[in-house]
Amino acid sequence: MRPTRAAAVHGALTVVSALMLVPFYWVLKTSLTGENIFQYPPALLPRAIHPFYYVDVWYYIPFVRYVANSVIVSAIVVLGNLAFNALAAYALTVGFRGRRAVILLLLSCMLIPFQATIIPAYLITKQLGLLNTHVGLALPLCSTIVCIFVFKTSFDAVPRSLIDAARIDGLAEWRIIRHVMLPLSTSAVATTVILSFVWSWNSFLWPLIVIRNPELQTLPLGLSTFLSYMENTTGALYAFCIMVLVPGVVLFLLEQRRFIEGLTSGATKG
Amino acid sequence: MLSVQTWSPFRPATFAGLTHYDELLFHDEIFWTSLWNTVVFMASSPIAIALALGLALLVDTRIRGRGIYRAIIFLSYPLMTVAVGIIWRWLYDEKVGLINYVLLSLGLTRTRIAFLDSYEWAMPSVVVAAVWQIVGFFMVILLAGLQSIPPDLHAAAALDGASAVRRFRHITLPLLRPAVFLCLMIGIINSFTSFDLIYVMTGGGPNYATEVLITYIYRAAFVLSKFDYAAALTVVLFVFLLALTWLANRFAGGEAGAVDAAD
Repeated sequence: MRPTRAAAVHGALTVVSALMLVPFYWVLKTSLTGENIFQYPPALLPRAIHPFYYVDVWYYIPFVRYVANSVIVSAIVVLGNLAFNALAAYALTVGFRGRRAVILLLLSCMLIPFQATIIPAYLITKQLGLLNTHVGLALPLCSTIVCIFVFKTSFDAVPRSLIDAARIDGLAEWRIIRHVMLPLSTSAVATTVILSFVWSWNSFLWPLIVIRNPELQTLPLGLSTFLSYMENTTGALYAFCIMVLVPGVVLFLLEQRRFIEGLTSGATKG
Repeated sequence: MLSVQTWSPFRPATFAGLTHYDELLFHDEIFWTSLWNTVVFMASSPIAIALALGLALLVDTRIRGRGIYRAIIFLSYPLMTVAVGIIWRWLYDEKVGLINYVLLSLGLTRTRIAFLDSYEWAMPSVVVAAVWQIVGFFMVILLAGLQSIPPDLHAAAALDGASAVRRFRHITLPLLRPAVFLCLMIGIINSFTSFDLIYVMTGGGPNYATEVLITYIYRAAFVLSKFDYAAALTVVLFVFLLALTWLANRFAGGEAGAVDAAD
């Protein structure tokens, strides 16, 4: 490519990247200085950086409890997704009567977003007596059709002779899944973990409905409660935002390739 | 079922026929407003897709650091939408927000705009934030589409004397159709599910200017405790979604879903 064109492409992409990053920069700056919450015009560069808003967050709100709740719920969701989806995908791979019908049913249900089913989901959860519990929070997210197909695609690639050999050796079906199928589908496992983690970690509407007890609030819920108490009168709100976002950003940067692959393959299957 | 009953958590259910639908279709202005807003929100996805296509073409060129650009542009997608909403509220702030500051400094406006509190500006403002969050995702999908186009095709067309613009129109775009269609589907579904962003940024206000179906359902059921009515709304949302996906599928030549079902 000619150098002038490369420079133009670089220029355009730099501008776009800057636009994408400005919101992060602005919030980071506010959380560290709090300077232009009451002041105008805002300074573009931070002056007098201090960590006091982070200290505020730590003491004013039960940050650790929010994190703990989020982690518990996400852990249940991730484990649930691995277990249920792998089992379902194995059944679909090995085959049974009515398999095609089930696949068609799953495919057509895949287009229904969870948000469209909150009313029945809420009533069912209520009937089960699971409102205000971690399990109730995690339950609707515990199996996702997208991930079933992610597993199925990967299981389909395992040679049938391997399954047959394992059967002849007397392995029970669930042990075939654990010791033969899963070790051979690490990328499907990674995709499922990433997808289900991102979904449950960021999930807001469902916790908002199910959780009334402040003790059980997850991070997004805590954030929105804090917003409704404080409005934007304090830099602590933005410090809270940064504290919530940083783990996600770090995770994304560390596992960037898998993240992008996982989230996109989740979409292409859906 | 619930949508044709009179039901509340405290009373036994009775059959109510189609009264909820009657109220919804003929006596409820908020329903029509929220439906219209959902459509407006949906209409923003072609813009996002066009932007994403431009970006994908840029990132697809062989330049150094393309991985970094891609990561930066994608970064906003997997983040917690509630936090993203709060960040954007801050940028849109009337008195001290960055966007007002920039507009004033550039002389584009004389007075400050209360973006999220004004009837005209609230929806476009939310849409901008939504596009900001999803554009990187669309870009990655389109990028995958671009990279699956065999380079020989371009080489052959170039040899035949086709200009870059014509190669784009007659090779890239047709072969990119499945990826574009996928983005469109995600955009459609997204407009029915973007609850978090709207809830945090405007709460559906001011005066229902940003109320979409999903926020209305939430409000009907969990703020106003009209579960039966919310169920009727959900049914409408469902029908709408099904009709749209069916239409989109027709336009795309029935490719979607067929890929997986074929095995």
